[in-house]
Amino acid sequence: MKERDNILRIFQETKEAIKKGDSAKIKGLSDQTINTASLTHDPDNIAVAVIVYSLSKILERKEYKKLPGWERFYKAYIKAIDKIISALKKDDEKKVRENLKLIRKEIGKLSGKLKKYIQDVFTKAKINKASKIYEHGISMEKTASLLGITMFDLAQYAGQKEEISEQREAKTMEVRERIKLAMEMFK
Amino acid sequence: MKAIIFDASTMITLTMNGLLKEFRGLKKIFNGKFLITKDVKKEIVDKPSRINRFKLEALKLNELISDKVLEMSSSVGINPVIVSQKTEEFKKIANSTFTAEKEIHILDSGEASCFALSRLLDEKNIQNVLAIDERTARMLGEKPENLHKLLERKLHKKITAKKENYEFFKGFKFIRSSELIYVAYKKGIIGLKNGVLEALLYAVKFKGCAISNEEINEIRTIGKGNRKY
Repeated sequence: MKERDNILRIFQETKEAIKKGDSAKIKGLSDQTINTASLTHDPDNIAVAVIVYSLSKILERKEYKKLPGWERFYKAYIKAIDKIISALKKDDEKKVRENLKLIRKEIGKLSGKLKKYIQDVFTKAKINKASKIYEHGISMEKTASLLGITMFDLAQYAGQKEEISEQREAKTMEVRERIKLAMEMFK
Repeated sequence: MKAIIFDASTMITLTMNGLLKEFRGLKKIFNGKFLITKDVKKEIVDKPSRINRFKLEALKLNELISDKVLEMSSSVGINPVIVSQKTEEFKKIANSTFTAEKEIHILDSGEASCFALSRLLDEKNIQNVLAIDERTARMLGEKPENLHKLLERKLHKKITAKKENYEFFKGFKFIRSSELIYVAYKKGIIGLKNGVLEALLYAVKFKGCAISNEEINEIRTIGKGNRKY
């Protein structure tokens, strides 16, 4: 696991933000493992980013709380985060991973609308985090494979992000030159 | 003989915008082959065909292959095994070019296979360009120093570049779906009129083509002129 201390801090601050109901803060925290994830492709850092971001989105949706299964799922989610914090403090990577996986398993136990909603939140969280990694300079295909999503998902999402399309470094040739090249191929 | 090698990113942009009819139109006026590799096929047909949301796109793309609009490397006498071997070489070099604490893996097999096929076509003296909408592979080929800058700026770390690797990626030519759209527009393949070029350029941008607003404005201005290339 890369940057254990950073992950511990993120989870501790996430817990604080949950108490305050500050989903914007949680969202911000979810981006803080992206640098490490982009550099090392460490699956733990990627999982943390997805799990923390998903939590922020779940907390935003008040209507989820009325659905059957919510109480049990939410309690299990928070309990898993507590266990992750405790395992990180003990430097017990095995336990950290077990609890990261446990959150996924809890989704599997859900049923009906809530299951569909939560699965959707996790898929969107993966796409969001993938676009962040792509923004950092890793290729589209590599990023999609790291997050286990399709390039179709990533292309659509990334295409709408000005942070990506307006990156000043991305202009690598004069527009006129590239047009000329394309037109010449079709002569 | 000439060829355009398509990366998954470009085919995805065109498909998601419903522009495959125009793509077929481009093939009709192209005096050469539209090629993909088996790694690109994996990304645009095999993987999405297992996901309900993208099954239709996978079917449409597969039909392009069945209709020989898109062809595999074997259609120009290049053995896919050789492409795979060369792909590994390109991947290895690309993914060892930039280092922080360890090597930063920037490319995957599909993108690397496009470079590989282009190099193999060069060896056969077949004129070719790469159609790649995603920006990392293009930057590596055209301005690796910019990719170095981008990685450092975004990762907030000192990145070491193995500059001798830059040479390996020199000489490749890149276009994007935006330029293909421009050609289709100029050649009268696009049915719509009145501001259609701008609309199409934004459409491809929003489906993943790495093009800036400034570049779109420039292409739009060029499109208004009658300059012959």
